[in-house]
Amino acid sequence: MTTLQTSPPSSAWSRWRGAILAYVLVAPPLLLMVLLIFIPALQSIVRTLTIDVEGQSGFSFSRYVAFFNDPISVSNLVFTFQIVFLTLIIIFIVCFPLAIYLRFAQGRIAAAVQILVLFPLFVPGIILCYALIRFLGTRGTLDTVLSIFGVTEYRTPYLKPDAIIIGLVWESIPFTVLVLTAGLRQISDSLIESARDVGAGDWTIFRRIILPLITRPVLIAFSLNFLGIFGSYTVPYLLGPAAPQMMGVFMQQTFGQYRRPDDAETQAVITFLICSLVGLLYVRTVASQRIQQEDE
Amino acid sequence: MTSAQPPVSNDFWRTTRRSFTAMIRRDGFGLLALVVLALVILGPLYSVVLWAFAERWRYPSLIPTEFGFKFWEQTFSRADIAAALPFSIVLSLVVTALSALICLPASYAFARMRFRGRQALLLSFLATNAFPRFGLYISIAVIFFRLNLIGTVPGVIMIQLVNTLLLMIWIPTAAFQGIDRSLEEAALDVGASPLRVFIQITLPMVMPALSAALLLTFVNTFYEAQGALLIGLPRIVTMPVLMYSLINSQLVTQYGAIVSFVLWLPSLLLLLVAQKLLRGGYLTAGFGV
Repeated sequence: MTTLQTSPPSSAWSRWRGAILAYVLVAPPLLLMVLLIFIPALQSIVRTLTIDVEGQSGFSFSRYVAFFNDPISVSNLVFTFQIVFLTLIIIFIVCFPLAIYLRFAQGRIAAAVQILVLFPLFVPGIILCYALIRFLGTRGTLDTVLSIFGVTEYRTPYLKPDAIIIGLVWESIPFTVLVLTAGLRQISDSLIESARDVGAGDWTIFRRIILPLITRPVLIAFSLNFLGIFGSYTVPYLLGPAAPQMMGVFMQQTFGQYRRPDDAETQAVITFLICSLVGLLYVRTVASQRIQQEDE
Repeated sequence: MTSAQPPVSNDFWRTTRRSFTAMIRRDGFGLLALVVLALVILGPLYSVVLWAFAERWRYPSLIPTEFGFKFWEQTFSRADIAAALPFSIVLSLVVTALSALICLPASYAFARMRFRGRQALLLSFLATNAFPRFGLYISIAVIFFRLNLIGTVPGVIMIQLVNTLLLMIWIPTAAFQGIDRSLEEAALDVGASPLRVFIQITLPMVMPALSAALLLTFVNTFYEAQGALLIGLPRIVTMPVLMYSLINSQLVTQYGAIVSFVLWLPSLLLLLVAQKLLRGGYLTAGFGV
């Protein structure tokens, strides 16, 4: 803060009082977060690493050994990775051109595209799943339309991995395009024009000017989509196959149907550990962006 | 190609034609995107809306064979739906109110007060996004399981509150930071009490942001299904949770369609103010961007 403030002369005591009041005000949400995020996560990590033998608890990897020795658990984990990477690739292939288009285009068509891109933000996941079943399912809308054009051998992606990817991409379009477009807006028109004046082509402009400036938005979009897909439940549960399952569905089944909270906890901690690096990347990227904004 | 040269003789037509094709090509992408997006994004919803008003819909007809409201009565006379809808609305209101109560004073402190660790504490709320959501829910559920909070209203309220923290703190904090303080100082100088300044000057200035935060929190909570499913079942059933069973059992297609349609209405409200939300930067605030 560089602005001069006409604050009353503050003694050490009144500064102290102000700080205490501030801590009292910020304590409730922090407490809630500690109680409902940090403590459960830490406790899960500690508990999955301990084992009770004849009343004595000790350190052990046995729960993890059991997880990685179980072919079903491993195939679910591998399946989750495959879905995450395929979905991420498709998200970027779809969203990058849209974001670049929305940044530079003007006019009615661009406005309409913008509205459609934002639209999925206003469709809750559970309704999306129902809609996709009606749309993609056998004898659904797509099947009907194709049959009108004489295509009869429609094979539905519903209950196959493809349907999970379709649903997840559909859900993440608005956020990804919003973040990428916001990043692209930081690039001024004059910068691109001057590059053009000295003879830079579209590709050079993209690689030399646009790409470095949108690293941060790309990292945010990547990390949040990664975490979102890894931690998803509704879309894979309702649209995906019964086996293999994504980790969210697997955990819910272990906890809710098989009533094995311990095993579900191990599965949860494995997802934490896998996602921890990406989570850190997300927090670091947003933090550096925020600190930079406050300095400006 | 895009440089505007003064048209000279027959070069004129060539440049015009070139810029025209360039325009077609540029708008061509827009047109293509528009058509594909309309099909992919509106297509699925088309089926839902039409199914909600269909008495009968035989394959391979593109629109329902018979329109009507017969199933609306049936849907809302189902005991589970009649109970879940008001419960969901009240639950979302309670969660939103609690969230505001907990977070708004904190956001004022984050924006206006100076204290050690302010920035770090504010950033720590990003943790709500930094975990794979369902894994975190499982961790919470294991603790709630031992505390006998599974299947209770307090349990569901708590898990839904976690989801509201980031939005309810970051949007108002940005708003309190963004207001021009000279008005407040002027009012204080002419002798207004701090409380009066807050109510008559500060509050009106942050009102758009506060209402955006409240609206987004309410709608997000209303649609929150995964936490409520894991913590709430078997005794607590919200509308989105009910949708899982309506989809899985598929007794009558119309039930799911009608419930989807009704559930979707609050979201349409958001759509109406979407431009405002977008311009205020509120839509991405929930992601910490």
